[in-house]
This record gives sequence, structure tokens and C-alpha cells, in this order.
Amino acid sequence: MTASAQLCLDKPATVLMTVGHCPAGGSQASVRGVEGSDALLAARLAAGDERALAEAFDRLAPSVYSGALRVLGNGSAAQDVVQDVFVELWGHPGRYDPSAGSLRTYLIVLARHRAVDLLRSELRRVARQERHYRMTPAEPPGSASDEVMAAETASVVRAAVQLLPDGQRRVVELAYFEGLTCREVARTMGIPEGTAKSRLRLAMAKLESVLDRQLLEST
Amino acid sequence: MTAADRDPVFLPAGLRERVMAASLLAREAGQPVPAVPAISGPEAFGRAADAFYGLLAALEEQDWARPVLRDLDVQGLTGHLFGVEEDIQRAMTGDPAMADTDHVSSTQDAAVRQAGRPPALTMRDWRRAADRTLEQARARDGGTERIAVHGIRLPLDDLLVVRAFELWVHENDIRRCAGLNPSLPDPAVLRLMSDLAARMLPFAAARTGLREPVNVHLVLTGPGGGTWDLAVGQEADGQGPGQDVMIVTDAVGFCRLAANRTTPAELGPHVTGDAVRAAEVLAAASTLALD
Repeated sequence: MTASAQLCLDKPATVLMTVGHCPAGGSQASVRGVEGSDALLAARLAAGDERALAEAFDRLAPSVYSGALRVLGNGSAAQDVVQDVFVELWGHPGRYDPSAGSLRTYLIVLARHRAVDLLRSELRRVARQERHYRMTPAEPPGSASDEVMAAETASVVRAAVQLLPDGQRRVVELAYFEGLTCREVARTMGIPEGTAKSRLRLAMAKLESVLDRQLLEST
Repeated sequence: MTAADRDPVFLPAGLRERVMAASLLAREAGQPVPAVPAISGPEAFGRAADAFYGLLAALEEQDWARPVLRDLDVQGLTGHLFGVEEDIQRAMTGDPAMADTDHVSSTQDAAVRQAGRPPALTMRDWRRAADRTLEQARARDGGTERIAVHGIRLPLDDLLVVRAFELWVHENDIRRCAGLNPSLPDPAVLRLMSDLAARMLPFAAARTGLREPVNVHLVLTGPGGGTWDLAVGQEADGQGPGQDVMIVTDAVGFCRLAANRTTPAELGPHVTGDAVRAAEVLAAASTLALD
């Protein structure tokens, strides 16, 4: 990025196919060097400027990656989100409205949406797997296959829990898998009890959106 | 970029390359979005001619006598364009006399002849001449054959884009003198115009004697824009790789600069790199005068 500069040059005399005129002031040329703004960056992206994409990545990818990682808790999935977000920006730069906020905010919100979509998609996959097990013809209670299915169901729920953000996942693990009360969870994690409760509510809402409640209660 | 813009997060190795590759697979570098339909040179000329004719048809009687350019009034300028059509048609038939004839002096008679005539006749004559140019161009087999006229030698397709450029510029000359709002070419025509002006930048720089080589990353924003990487000034002086300069400005403004209807100062481009070199490049662009 360069500082502003004001320059004066003699205008070359040679003109091709001239019938026109140079307006007043045409004998001097000046160039302004300016710092790129989000609007300028978006306009450059729309013009197919791959350097603008590289600049956007270098400046904003760390924030996008962090945001995705916070939701997914999984580096590989977070990288997928970063790729989705920047491919979207490059393919449809016009969807970003500079008057509505910064490009950083736009991309982070986009990343969070993509991350949550990815999370839901993964949880649905897990739920489908669980339903598949339940639709398999049941054997008499107490059979070995019942025990296997119970174990697999628990495994499915644990896998779903692993997709939660760190803070929420730990609360669920302590409360449901280790049987701690909310107060004990809060004490163990060194957080206020209210925070533990709200994290638990958020976590359960996410899990319940894809796993059926009955399964959660039976686990 | 400020330090606050960066988060202290280390990105996984290879992520940048992966993201860039996936993005460029989805859309090639240099291609603007929204994409504009590709049209031919004759189509661009036809659209510009329609727009120019539409303006003439909307003028009031008194507008025809308004001074517009050099010593020409609107009617004289229309006569000049009639003369250009005649020269272009002769050039398309291979008349060597057209190659180096002067754009202004060669058409001056046609311009002067309009004085005292009913404007409707001037308008009709130009329209017929433009239609003949179009018919003759469309009848030719492809647009790659070079046509030499008024000191330039270009493939027919490019020449017709130059003509579209000229019609748009003069349409706006007339609009300005008649107190009308300026018009924009449609994006498909503008894309051809900005592309031609960008591609001709190295030639303009060679003519103006650009002192040192410059690698220009030219980004023209807005509908009809795009991105070009141009080696300017290198071949002329045989020097090594030049300095990198990025110039970002809107496509319409750049076309006005190339038509010598605005100055680099008025254009106010965004520049990174050597501002002096960028100023020289823009000064060269303003000498293209493709009208």
C-alpha cells in the first residue's frame, strides 16, 4: 500500500484518431495511492482480481478459521468451512454489501452458518445411523444384540457430543456421562453455575435438533 | 492492513493454496461477475449505433445547432460520423488510400456539408451509412482480417469496437452540450471497449515513450470491467522485468480516460506500487483517444 501522491506530467502530444479534446486540466496527470477498503476489495473481487482474493485470505482467513473451529472443534472440518467461505466470496462477491458491515463480519457470520450446517449435517448422519439400528428387527429383551445396540447407541450419542464446541461438550460429558449436578459441573470447570446451565441448554438444543429426545433420555 | 486485522491464529499448512486453487477452479481469474454475454464486434457497433440514433431522434430542433466539438455543431458532428462510415466502408473494400488518411481532415467535408440541411436528412444519411457499415461487416467471413484506416490497423472485430467506442463518446459529447444526463454503454459493449483499451495500453505507452518498463495489474471495476496483466514499456526499451504497479479504477472511467474525456486526476484511481510509474501509464492511456 502506498501513501498518497500528487504528480504532474506533461501530456504526450501524439493522439490517435483524434476528433476529441482534453478537458480543462488535461495537461496534468495525478494519481492517488490509497489504502484498500472492504468496498474496494469487493469491487476488485467482482472484477476477477485474484490478488484481491489472496489479500482477503491473508487478512481474514485466520478469523474465519477461528470462528469455524470454535463451532466445530475439529480442524479438518474448519478448513473445509474456510474453503467454502472463500470460494463463495470469490464466486459471488456481490452478495457482500459493504454498507451493511465489514467484510470480516460478513465472512465470520458466513463461516458460522456453514459450520453449524456442517454440524447439523453430521448429526443427521449420526441420527440416520441410529435409526437404521433401531429399525433392524428386534430380538428378545436381554439378548446379546440388545446390549450391542445399546452400546452402539451410546457410541452414536458420544460421537454427536464430540462435534459440540469445547465448552459445551465438556459440560455435557460431566453432566450426562459422569453424572455430575450442574453445581458440580460448574465447580469442576471453574465457571459460574449459570454459565454451566446455559451451556448445557445450548448443547442439548443442538443435540435435540437432530437426535431424537427418546434416544437421549434412554442413554 | 493493520496489526489488529490479524488474529494470532496459525492456519494449517497448505490451506491458502487449497483455497486459492478451489476458488480459481470455480471462476477463472480476470473474469468479472456478474458475467456479461460475449458479443461480436458488429453486434457492439450495432448497439452503439442504435443508442446514438436514439439520441439524435430525441433531440429538439435547436439542439442540432449547439456547438459540441472543435468547430462542429451537433449536425456537423453527425456529418463527421457519416464521413467516418464512408471511410470505413472503403477501407473494408481494401482501398489503400484509407490507411493513413487523417480521421478529422478526411471527414471534414462531410461535416461541413451538413450546414443548412434539415437535421432529419443528416440523421437519416448517417443511419443509412451506419447500416451499410454493419451490413458490409457482417457479410465478411470472420472478424480477424486486419483493416487499415485513419492510421490504425486492427482486426475488423476490434475496429468495430473502436467505432462503438467513438459513437458512445460522441453520444455523450452531444448529451453534455444538450444538457442531458450521460449514458453508459450496455455491459457487454463496455466489456469489449475496456478490454480493447486495456490491450492497447502497451502500444499507447510505446508511442508516448514510457521511460521504464512497468508490469501493470489493471483492475477495472463495475459492469463491463475485468482484470488484465500488462507488460508496458518493456519491449520498447529492451530492459529487464519492470516494477509492479496495480491500478484500480472503474471501467467506465477508464474508457472515458482512453477517449480523452477525463484526466487521470479526475479519474482518481486506486494505485499500489510506484505512483510515478502509474501516472505515466495513465497519461499514456489518455492518449489512446479511441473515439
